[in-house]
Amino acid sequence: MSEQKLFSFRNPWFGASVGVSGAIAVLAALAGLIWLPMVQPDLKISGIWDAICSAAGVPRTVPRSGGAQQPDFKTSNVVMTSQMLTHPDQVSIGRGATLAQRCAICHGPQGVSDANSPNLAGQYAAVTYKELNDFKAGARVNAVMSPFAANMGNRDMLDLAAYYSFLPRVPSSHLNDNAPAPQIVITGAPMRNIAPCGACHGDIDIKAGSPWLGGQSAVYIKAQLKAFASGGRRNDISQQMRNIARQMTAEEIDAVALYYEAQP
Amino acid sequence: MTTESDPHLGEAVAARIERRWATLSIAIVGVLVGMAIFIGIDHATMPQGHVETADPKTLHLAGEFIESNLGSAMEADGSVTVRAIGQQYSFTPQCIVVPSGTPVTLRATSADVVHGLLIEGTNINTMLVPGYVSELPVQFKAPGEHAMPCQEFCGIGHQGMWGKVKVVDKATFLGMMASQRRLSCVD
Ligand code: HEC
Ligand code: HEC
Ligand SMILES: [Cu+2]
Repeated sequence: MSEQKLFSFRNPWFGASVGVSGAIAVLAALAGLIWLPMVQPDLKISGIWDAICSAAGVPRTVPRSGGAQQPDFKTSNVVMTSQMLTHPDQVSIGRGATLAQRCAICHGPQGVSDANSPNLAGQYAAVTYKELNDFKAGARVNAVMSPFAANMGNRDMLDLAAYYSFLPRVPSSHLNDNAPAPQIVITGAPMRNIAPCGACHGDIDIKAGSPWLGGQSAVYIKAQLKAFASGGRRNDISQQMRNIARQMTAEEIDAVALYYEAQP
Repeated sequence: MTTESDPHLGEAVAARIERRWATLSIAIVGVLVGMAIFIGIDHATMPQGHVETADPKTLHLAGEFIESNLGSAMEADGSVTVRAIGQQYSFTPQCIVVPSGTPVTLRATSADVVHGLLIEGTNINTMLVPGYVSELPVQFKAPGEHAMPCQEFCGIGHQGMWGKVKVVDKATFLGMMASQRRLSCVD
């Protein structure tokens, strides 16, 4: 027995075990790649090759009847990523500074407004860029602001965004570091699908495209939340902010507006 | 004594035991393969039979997951297609409305990280993986309301990610659908 070669088809044990394993593998492959896909009623497999590709995970597009329902309002066309505009260069900031002179009457010479226009100083560049794009595209509409973005080129938007992100944030006159954070900022309201504001707006974590809210005027914050809730503002991608604002109570809106206004 | 010293007898016993073990292992493998085939055909598990891709960063620009195309749509064959996306930290539409006793195709994907879509009180449970479309054929038995939490940790606001599914009877659904191309119960 010890003379016999182990791995040889002349060894009946070897032949039988390889044969049986091979047969099981082939049968399992036939079942998994052909039979199972064929009996899935929703799959609409057109042939054996189609079944094999489908089961093996080759991406395919299923033809669908009827096209996508197009919106009857403008939506944002900005592609937002967390790496976007995180390294502005000096030339861009310099150009932005020049362009920003036109904006100073409302947004303040240092990007800090004392009217109720939003502060832009220290805002994430990606946010300023996105909002300008949305104003230009008509996805966000404001009678006062929209005309200033209407004829802006892409380069100008990038430069303005770089410039304002470079300016230091200036605490508002309402600064109060000790103001207790409302529940909704820290823990949200899970049963109403409200994640903590801080999970996106920077207090806890940042979600790409979420504006810095600290020091923004309470009037502005309230107006934006109400606009999101009513659908007056619809430029947030796939409703990410509308879903939240819609669920907020009037008291919560008041509380967060006062809280964020008092933050640096 | 003779039994121990007889080499042929020992060999025969070893061969018999080997054969039994081999038969047993083959039977186990056979049962497992058969089980997989059975649950596949019986739809006890519903692994998605095909792979479809969708770029998570550009869902909102074009294609079937643009905002205005989300929600429930009536198909020509009388079935309903529900399209939804999961994103940090909400589902859109936030409230999904479907008819009872009607075949529904649920198509969903993620706009950022991995989310989970689970409809409480049913066996509907799938992952939403960025880059891929999850499709699930479902049917709701009776009218009612179900919570739809995200069941996959998706970031620091995950616990706030809840949607809602409202199942209404078919006549009510058709009435609601009459004035709209896409339906949701977001107020
Ligand atoms: C006449 C006043 C006025 C001028 C000039 C003006 N803006 Fe505005 N801007 C506003 C107002 C008001 C809003 C708030 C709009 C709203 O409520 O939706 C705003 C909003 C913005 C926002 C959105 C901020 C946010 O946090 O969402 C950006 C970005 C912006 N402006 C940039 C600019 C730039 C850049 C310029 C110069 C090219 C400029 N604005 C000129 C009034 C002005
Ligand atoms: C899922 C992440 C997320 C959460 C949670 C969130 N936001 Fe937002 N919020 C955003 C994004 C993204 C935008 C920018 C929308 C856009 O594209 O214009 C935004 C915009 C805003 C704006 C408009 C700011 C401006 O300058 O234009 C306000 C105000 C705001 N959020 C307040 C809140 C409050 C208050 C909460 C908590 C109740 C909250 N947000 C929770 C993501 C979030
Ligand atoms: Cu999630």
